[in-house]
Amino acid sequence: MQSLRLITAVGTLALALGLGSNNARAAGVPAGTVIDNTAQVAFSVGSVTSTTNSNTVSVTVAEILDVVVTLQTPTVSVSAGDTQQEIVYRVTNTGNGPETFRLVMNSVLTGDDFDPAAAAPSIYFDTDASGDLSPGDTAYVVGTNDPALNADAFVTVLVVNDIPGTVVDSNRGFSRLTADARTGTGTPGTTFAGQGASGTDAVVGTTGADGDATGQYLVAGVAVNAVKSQVIVDQFGGARPVPGARINYSIVVSATGTGTALAPVFSDNIPANTTYVPGTLRLNAAAITDNADADAGDYLATPTARVRVVLGNLTQASGSQTITFAVTIN
Amino acid sequence: MLKGIQKFAGVAAVLACGLSSQAFAQTQTCVPVLKSVAEVEKEVVDAKGVKSTKLMPLATATPGTLVIYTTTASNGCKQPIDNIEISNFVPEHMTYVASSAMATGAEVTYSLDGKTFGTADQLTVLENGVSRKARADEYKFFRWAFKGSLAPGAQAAASFRAVLN
Repeated sequence: MQSLRLITAVGTLALALGLGSNNARAAGVPAGTVIDNTAQVAFSVGSVTSTTNSNTVSVTVAEILDVVVTLQTPTVSVSAGDTQQEIVYRVTNTGNGPETFRLVMNSVLTGDDFDPAAAAPSIYFDTDASGDLSPGDTAYVVGTNDPALNADAFVTVLVVNDIPGTVVDSNRGFSRLTADARTGTGTPGTTFAGQGASGTDAVVGTTGADGDATGQYLVAGVAVNAVKSQVIVDQFGGARPVPGARINYSIVVSATGTGTALAPVFSDNIPANTTYVPGTLRLNAAAITDNADADAGDYLATPTARVRVVLGNLTQASGSQTITFAVTIN
Repeated sequence: MLKGIQKFAGVAAVLACGLSSQAFAQTQTCVPVLKSVAEVEKEVVDAKGVKSTKLMPLATATPGTLVIYTTTASNGCKQPIDNIEISNFVPEHMTYVASSAMATGAEVTYSLDGKTFGTADQLTVLENGVSRKARADEYKFFRWAFKGSLAPGAQAAASFRAVLN
């Protein structure tokens, strides 16, 4: 049942991406092709000229076993405790005949900061060609729905891990996908007699008939901090908070960490017993109209009087963003 | 050698003129045996550890393999055979290796279409309205025209090399 579903999946994927298996240029002449050659000779004996043919020489194209695994998502940003995080790979049959491949994932690797925890199941086919893990994707079961790929065909594979809760910002965790030809692997040139397409020999190609690629998870935390300060200017030239005095607020917003804060919105209620001074809202010294319009911010009188500024994506490299506005004490 | 050819040709002419029925019978039976083989070069090491290259018969090949096609014409008759011309072609899915078409005692001509034959300098290709010299990888057909005649018991061989695409 599983394997039937997979065949449908592979077919759909190939169609969706406009790729067929008949473009065998990269892999060479298709395995099983018989190449014939017959020579001819013209001659004369006495005054009579004639021709005759040689025997026909047949060379059958053997099957090359080759596979390449390529990473489609170089770095996946995650947070501590995230579950079902996928790294996307492509497994391509770079041989010249149809071949079935076995898939293995490994997240216990050296050179990184933490070991991602393999989800169960941990390998899926991107059945719906969405590029990410979704309900329509089929789980891979070794030996049951091993991908059968024609020459030059590929399948998109998702490796799924959970992220431990103990990781900290900028930690890296590696996860590897390996694919190997079911007919066999080995040093290039290793021959499996009679096991190739159409009963021809299968010969291990330059890839050793196996391939792997390693992706990584990067814990990319980001913290957005806002520091608010105020300056009071009274109508008597002093700095006392008396009715009629003006308070100039300044809020400095900054992001710290390795991640990206997606379009954070700064919102600040107008303090009780004060009134917003129209036209005083500014972002990085540039004026923002009070109306709700195309610019980055506005003043809202209801339900609670407040100012609001949309900051756009912020990273540590964005630097600090300064928002200012003023109120008067009632 | 040239003298020999003329002499044999002369004898044949006499036979043809004087004994036409016999001459006909002879041409019926006197046909060179033409044998083709596909081989690959393999490095072998003998008992003394000396390496040498041997030609081994080839039945299956992987893309990229260099295949050597050799055609041998053998004269099993009691009379010489004249005007030997062996023809062969680069099989489908294969690419000719430059300068590899050879035969001892023969002049080789090439063709792209199997109709017009010429030496390497004579073959041209029309590309975007401009004529250029044909590249060796575009050669598809060969003719080896042997000089002189093939004596009884003698052999004439012609070969070329091609790479499986």
